[in-house]
Amino acid sequence: MKHRMPLALTVMALAVAIPASTASARTTISMSGSTSVAPLAAKLAKGYLKAHPGAATFRLGQGGSDVGVADVAAGRVTIGNSSRDPKASDPGGIVWNRIARDAICIATNSGNTVAGLTQAQVQAIFSGQVRDWSQVPGATKSGPIDVVVRTAASGTQDAFQKIFMGSAKVSSSAAQKASNGLVAQAIRSDPNAVGYVSLAFTQGLNDARYKGVACNLRTAKSGQYEGVRNFWMVTRGKAQGEALRFIRWIQRSRAARAITATGWVPLH
Amino acid sequence: MAGPATPASAPNRSDKRAELALGPLSSVVLVLIAGMVVFVLAKAWPSFANNGLAWFGGGGNVDDQLLEIFNSPANPDAYEYTIHAWPLLYATALVTGGAVIVGLAFALFAAIFIVEFAPERLRAVLEPVVRLLAAVPSVIYGLIGILVLVPFVGNHLISQGRKESVAYVVQLSGNSLIVAVVVLTVMITPIMIALIVDALRAVPGSWTEGAHALGANRWRVVWTIAVRAARPAIVGACVLATARALGEAIMLSMVSGSVGFAPNPLDGLTFFVEPMRPLAATIVDNAEGLSVKPLGQTLYAFAAVLLVSSLMLSLGAWAVRQPMKRYGVRP
Repeated sequence: MKHRMPLALTVMALAVAIPASTASARTTISMSGSTSVAPLAAKLAKGYLKAHPGAATFRLGQGGSDVGVADVAAGRVTIGNSSRDPKASDPGGIVWNRIARDAICIATNSGNTVAGLTQAQVQAIFSGQVRDWSQVPGATKSGPIDVVVRTAASGTQDAFQKIFMGSAKVSSSAAQKASNGLVAQAIRSDPNAVGYVSLAFTQGLNDARYKGVACNLRTAKSGQYEGVRNFWMVTRGKAQGEALRFIRWIQRSRAARAITATGWVPLH
Repeated sequence: MAGPATPASAPNRSDKRAELALGPLSSVVLVLIAGMVVFVLAKAWPSFANNGLAWFGGGGNVDDQLLEIFNSPANPDAYEYTIHAWPLLYATALVTGGAVIVGLAFALFAAIFIVEFAPERLRAVLEPVVRLLAAVPSVIYGLIGILVLVPFVGNHLISQGRKESVAYVVQLSGNSLIVAVVVLTVMITPIMIALIVDALRAVPGSWTEGAHALGANRWRVVWTIAVRAARPAIVGACVLATARALGEAIMLSMVSGSVGFAPNPLDGLTFFVEPMRPLAATIVDNAEGLSVKPLGQTLYAFAAVLLVSSLMLSLGAWAVRQPMKRYGVRP
């Protein structure tokens, strides 16, 4: 669930002898925000410390994209993690640094092997225009469609709306779940269900193949799969000092790229 | 209270000390509660002020309204506040009421059985088990609900035809009123049993013995003497159970259906398998958007309604219990 978890992880840097000339109190980089970004941020922080021993101490909390944005705008954390793009109501004075991308997969119950939905079909299904599987070509199931989506405040919902739905509105009779895991569970237990989840949550579900392309790391990396969203690290004003070095390292180094590529889509 | 005549000064002094220490402590609790109520109401005020009484009414789709509020523009003057929370209030009342009524029936008979009829060896097992059940965290019930009951109801109790009959209004997937009520009942019944057992035990033996002596059978004695005398405690048990049911969030967020729909009794049996989402579950589900100011204030408004309802509940129970107390026992 979306409980705020301060200190979900504290990466303690090993004390390393630092030459007196550069001696300064070790900086602490604190982060909060998206639960989707958190696992990646933790791995990156560990990798950064391996590359730059003793450069900083990390503290990673969660809470959801909006929490991250609000925290960083108020100066409570150095970096706010967000899995949604900037929006109009965000507080001013913050800078969005893109760090990776993540695939969002359309999934159905494993007993319903739909393979290949066009954007128009996805929009028709999720907006409630098409309400029966018999109206969906390729569906191996008939009967009413149970649409499962995320709550309004979720970053994944925001990305789904932008990437897949465009201006179409998600049906208001859709069940709104509070996390990726709950959506996956709902689809797993209901043969009529369809929903969307982050790539990491697709186990045991049928990939509905958006625009005919399988949803996996390879197609997302190659750009074939289009349902891809951004992960952001948000800073208050331009990133400075150690935070700047950390974000630069994520965006530019090969090591960070390798870490990201274990489950997400690197930027370059 | 030691009278002034007794010169035993040592216990007297420690009494004083306890009084001095506990008095402020309990006052702190009072201040905390008052502070909490004021804080929540203050936070919630913009939501109530912008909607007036329509806040409690129906109209439009409550999920769409929450989305609009979440997507408010940055300008505080243009914040969106419109919400008609009736489906959520109605769902809360349905689930809570259903669970407490069913739970009370079960709890009353179970307690009577434990106190009056169960063989000693069975009782020795039953009572600790009941008390243990009362302490199980709600998320565990939620897991059982979502992994076992929801799929069962969705795949076996809801026919294709039933699903199709309401497909254009609401999705029937197993997340439903009936599952929510069943799981909630299982959650709150043990507390009620434990409290009612204590109350039945506290009925003076001379009262029941008197009835036995007059030739009444066991059942009659229990029903007419013990249960009647225990009424204030039974009301108390219901209040406690209702309060727990009202505030239950995680479990209901998992099993109740995650959509702000108001189940319609006119739908016949379908009514029981229709999804809905009570207030507390709505707060949990939308907690991610707390930092969006108007949505945060709306969630605080939900919290305020829950808080005020449980306060009213306590007051109401107090009033109901007054006339019962004359012949009642209080454990």
